[in-house]
Amino acid sequence: MDYRQCAAEILCELGGKENLISAAHCATRLRLVIADNGKVNKGNLENIDGVKGVFEASGQLQIIIGTGTVNKVYDEFIALAGISAASKDEVKQAAAAKGNIFQRVIKTLGDVFVPIIPAIVAGGLIMGIMEALNFMANRGIISINQSGYLFQIINMLSNAAFTFLPILIGYSATKVFGGNPYLGAVLAMFLIHPNLQNAYTVSTEGVAQSFSIFGLYDVNMVGYQGHVIPIIMASLILATVEKKLHKVVPEIIDLFVTPLVSLLVSGLLTFTFIGPLFVAIENGVLWFVQWLITIPFGIGSFVMGGIYSTTVVGGVHHMYTVIDMGQIAQYGFTYWLPIASAANVAQGGACLAVAIKSKKAKVKSVAFPSALSCMLGITEPAIFGVNIRFVKPFIFGSIGGAVGACLASIMHLGASATGVTGLFAVLLHLHAPIKYIIVIGTAAAVAFVLTWFFGYKDKEDAPADSKSTASKEIVVPEKEYNNDTVYAPLEGKVVALTDVPDATFAEGVLGLGAAIEPAVGEVIAPADGEISSIFDTHHAVGLTLDNGMELLIHVGINTVALNGEGFTAHVSEGDRVKRGQPLISFDKDFITSKGYPIITPVIISNADDYKEIKTTTSAEVRRLDELLKVERG
Amino acid sequence: MKTFAYTIKDEVGIHARPAGLLAKKAKEFESVITLEKGGKTAVATKLMAIMGMGVKCGDTVNVTVEGADEEKAAAEMEAFFNANL
Repeated sequence: MDYRQCAAEILCELGGKENLISAAHCATRLRLVIADNGKVNKGNLENIDGVKGVFEASGQLQIIIGTGTVNKVYDEFIALAGISAASKDEVKQAAAAKGNIFQRVIKTLGDVFVPIIPAIVAGGLIMGIMEALNFMANRGIISINQSGYLFQIINMLSNAAFTFLPILIGYSATKVFGGNPYLGAVLAMFLIHPNLQNAYTVSTEGVAQSFSIFGLYDVNMVGYQGHVIPIIMASLILATVEKKLHKVVPEIIDLFVTPLVSLLVSGLLTFTFIGPLFVAIENGVLWFVQWLITIPFGIGSFVMGGIYSTTVVGGVHHMYTVIDMGQIAQYGFTYWLPIASAANVAQGGACLAVAIKSKKAKVKSVAFPSALSCMLGITEPAIFGVNIRFVKPFIFGSIGGAVGACLASIMHLGASATGVTGLFAVLLHLHAPIKYIIVIGTAAAVAFVLTWFFGYKDKEDAPADSKSTASKEIVVPEKEYNNDTVYAPLEGKVVALTDVPDATFAEGVLGLGAAIEPAVGEVIAPADGEISSIFDTHHAVGLTLDNGMELLIHVGINTVALNGEGFTAHVSEGDRVKRGQPLISFDKDFITSKGYPIITPVIISNADDYKEIKTTTSAEVRRLDELLKVERG
Repeated sequence: MKTFAYTIKDEVGIHARPAGLLAKKAKEFESVITLEKGGKTAVATKLMAIMGMGVKCGDTVNVTVEGADEEKAAAEMEAFFNANL
């Protein structure tokens, strides 16, 4: 193989050295960061002599060259491209820094919220139900004892996550920004300290106490309950200060000086500057939206319905009760509530579309309850957990909200009271229930349909070309079977064997193949064959397939030490197995909780019998998708 | 032909990782190395065959080495067993 020739051709098919940001290599691959992926000709890349495969993952273009040759091609490559050698970390950083500010902000918000979704989904659902019950009880529609202990206890349980939401966010955000998460939690506790006036009381009781900062402006002694942005900004400051201090403070006093100073600086700065700035912005928004909905012909309401959810992201929505109260006092009805309700339900419609359309269990499991919670008027889980993460559902949700709000305005729909949005708010519109149902139904339907058709697609991270992606959608597992293909025995993310955190696997001692980060805890037979070995500890299985291939599927790393706990074997040694038959079930969470990596190498142990073994270019596989392709020698 | 017997002391027996290392070691030699335990035999270069023997802690494995470099191979294999199993 002519290394220089190979490197030159690669560079050419990438769109020239101008299109190259940085390059690194690992044991088998060139790992490149490309400025414009549109200029890369993948088909031609794959055909270059010496290139065994090409795929994109985590912002990198990875070109598989092979052990022993990749470094030689790499040397020629950087010489030709005229760049200096980058470490793998630098390449990763460059990949992360890619994308515009908007994308990075969205990604950061996602990283902050994804870990806390279970908490807010649980709270949100109970809260929606409790609010509805409470409301109906107040109206005498149902008879329950609201002062009874059960109601009181569940009520507290339901709003705990929201009352203390900043703490969850503070922990999560500080972690994302690289600071100490516990300090982030403390900072958030400070912002919602019980000695401060609760933010939710401001709209009805006014500000109780404030103090002057150098006579320049006043800071209200009010907590930040329900706010999202101030604590994220505070966490950013905290983490930044902390990281800087770690570098300059001598190690011997680092442990107490750094947390103390970073907490003091970020706490003071947040409470005296960031917070008040945000309050000022909030008041501006409040004034603006009140003016906005006075624009006639439904235009104002259309715009408001569209931006409502964005203001929820900013955390301004808890101030909106003021508008409801003001309107009820003035007109006897609030025209604000139907707008809010349309916007909320629309996000639910968008979220529901994602829930139904997605085939990924992980997405579905979040999206369904989130959508339901939305219909009950609690939108945070859907907005932060689903819609904003995928961006488009949020936009289409907002459009649905705009349409619904516009309709409400044209029909002159007003609510007789405030307190709940979503399905149960029909009780606030008993004078015009049909109108209300039309409004929220339209909002949800518009959002659902738009999201269904244009707003969501399960991500196939690295489709080799559009053809294979298209065919993947309609593939029936039973339909295709090829003797030279190894089909995925479990569902999950594809990881290169060289990236498995265990030298025995990574160096190919046990054979060659790929690894899967399992999404589901079950291993199935990838083809007909016989069980050659199954360990007493049930953590690994060896198969001899009818095509002569010997396959080792090893669930997790070092899991032999679990002694079978968390594993169930469905077959024993010598059994004949059919393609698709379950072999081992395992409890993913249990294994992870015991501290073992769950990554599962799928290895051809008689790799010497094959000339070449290629891993699929897909970043994720479902069961029986193509995982490896072999070429017989 | 050289033979030796070895009793497994590693508490988890010959599971995937040691089997892999064993097969890798066995491939270094020209000689054919065979393992035998309780009537089951396996060629030491075949990972799946070794694992199929289901060797556990306390089991005794009979190792047979036959070929041009059998002296060296037997000595090194025995050393390998002592060090790893």
